[in-house]
Amino acid sequence: MLVIKNLKASINNREILKGLNLKINPGEVHAIMGPNGSGKSTLANVLSGKNGYKISGEVKYLGESLNDIPVEERAQKGIFLAFQYPLEIPGVNTNNFLKTSLNTIKKAKGEKEIDTITFLELVKEKAKELGIDEKILSRQLNVGFSGGEKKKNEILQMKILDPNLIILDETDSGLDIDALKIISDGVNSSRSEKKSFLVITHYQRLLEYIKPDHVHVLSDGKIIKSGTSELALELEKKGYKKLN
Amino acid sequence: MNENFKISPSEINKIKVLNQKDKNFRLENLKLFNQQGFPTRNHEDWKFSDINQIFSKNFKNLESFKNEIKLKSINFIKEFDHNHILMVNGKLENSEFKFEDKNKIKIKSYNDSNFSLNNEENSLINLNNALSNNGLLLEVADNYRFEKAIIIYNVFTDDLKDNLLNNKNKIILGKNSELHIVEYNINQSKNKFIYNTTENIILNENAYLKTINLQANQNDGFFYKFSKGKMKSNSNYSSFIFSSGPKFNKIDAEFDLEGENCDCNIKSALFINKDKHQEIKTKINHLVPNCKSYQKIKSVVDAEGKGVYQGKIYVKDIAQKTNAYQLSKALLLSENSEFNSKPELEIYADDVKCSHGSTSGSVDENSIHYLMTRGLSKKQAVQLLVNGFLNEIIGDIKSNSVRKFIENKIEIQIHGY
Repeated sequence: MLVIKNLKASINNREILKGLNLKINPGEVHAIMGPNGSGKSTLANVLSGKNGYKISGEVKYLGESLNDIPVEERAQKGIFLAFQYPLEIPGVNTNNFLKTSLNTIKKAKGEKEIDTITFLELVKEKAKELGIDEKILSRQLNVGFSGGEKKKNEILQMKILDPNLIILDETDSGLDIDALKIISDGVNSSRSEKKSFLVITHYQRLLEYIKPDHVHVLSDGKIIKSGTSELALELEKKGYKKLN
Repeated sequence: MNENFKISPSEINKIKVLNQKDKNFRLENLKLFNQQGFPTRNHEDWKFSDINQIFSKNFKNLESFKNEIKLKSINFIKEFDHNHILMVNGKLENSEFKFEDKNKIKIKSYNDSNFSLNNEENSLINLNNALSNNGLLLEVADNYRFEKAIIIYNVFTDDLKDNLLNNKNKIILGKNSELHIVEYNINQSKNKFIYNTTENIILNENAYLKTINLQANQNDGFFYKFSKGKMKSNSNYSSFIFSSGPKFNKIDAEFDLEGENCDCNIKSALFINKDKHQEIKTKINHLVPNCKSYQKIKSVVDAEGKGVYQGKIYVKDIAQKTNAYQLSKALLLSENSEFNSKPELEIYADDVKCSHGSTSGSVDENSIHYLMTRGLSKKQAVQLLVNGFLNEIIGDIKSNSVRKFIENKIEIQIHGY
């Protein structure tokens, strides 16, 4: 699904990722853990195609190099990033945005666009699963949403857009236990042989709910250790410092 | 056209004047105009819109009137039921009030200088007083509330070129009356011309007037409108300005809140593209206690466009418990776009709630990125953000059919970008 080889990324002449290697197979859930400033969010940004980074190395998605693929095409090809801080977009109705997004992706895939009624039924069903109050979907995108509502809205988007590779950037930050559980259930119910997840997190807590197949430790722009979910527990006990 | 554009007094002989008094008034105003010429940036009110320079650049000569007219067919609005008034080049052609009690409505064409507004500071008003030969008087009887809105179709004909048209309108609402007006400007001319209009609005006790100003198309017209309002107690004025489209447009509104508990609202959403220049200027005079006023101006400026907002809130010493709010927000889409804002408060009362603010900036890159990660192209993302920015104003229009119609009109402008 995703193969990253010797990925380096710098911004404003500062190197953040310093030769990162990672391979994710279809159906796998990988967790990347690391202390603040280790490059976790940069990895998420770079995979999404965000502008402003100077990049070398190789990122292949479904066998195709992503190096020159712009942000929207990555999304259209099935890469989804759930943001750590979802942006507030004033004046843009959440449902309208979701429909535009879904239809743009469907169009790019050569699929038939979805009509409003079918779309609303789909949203209603997915929102219910995530315990999202439907009323917020007729409000402006993320405007005035609580932290939990914003994160749930990201997962709702994931469910509706139905991507192949899902990157969750600190989705657990700012969530209470109830919201964490709902969101994890949302993610777990989406797991399949065809979908892969890259879960980026600072704390082991999230991994109690979303069980990863592999855990990697990111430190100073490189993966310094990889293992099973046992590694996450070890980190929780010892802290990141011991590993350096 | 040279720098000292002057109009010969003999031009006034072309107007059907009422009497000697009318003629003298016109001659006097023409003299005032000829002394000053078109306003320049040296005049504080024209600081960001040097209309003398703009006119000099765009016109070699100007013809004061347009007698023969060639009217092409008009696309009347079908999306919602309405009464209509048709004005062609500023002249009242016809009107129809099929949803109303006609005894309650007075409408006539006039060119009586008795209806003139005076403002010695503003040479365009002098010019209007001197040469205005067309106009509309609309009066609504006490206690009459319109069933449906009136659309005033302001049509400018195909054959206008290098003309300087002057027109006057007056709208009077009786006590407890209510009227919604959509002023819909359709410009059929592909050429440049100037339309200088003054509007006088009188709202009697407890009257409610809502106006929406909308352009049907992009065009090369140069428009100036001075709107003077007088509000009696408990009256309510609510204005939505969606006037982007012409090459130059300045809407200059001055409202006197003369009776207590008035509520005066001016909201605007503009999309200024190409090399267009648009200014909104408001002056709200709080002359008595307990009134509210609110101005919210949102402008998107693209390419070489230029937007201006000048807003002043004046609060007289006796106007205690005034609640006045003014906000201007601009979104610049290009490095060459320009927006100027001059918010002013002049307050002489000590127990008031007044605030103002002004921001301008470019589209947030992180927001664009967020939308692009959901599959939208950069262009789609910017359009969505621009729509969202302007929706904050459009969303306040209560009638669904009217709002949808306006959303459509504005979306066409944005998508053309």
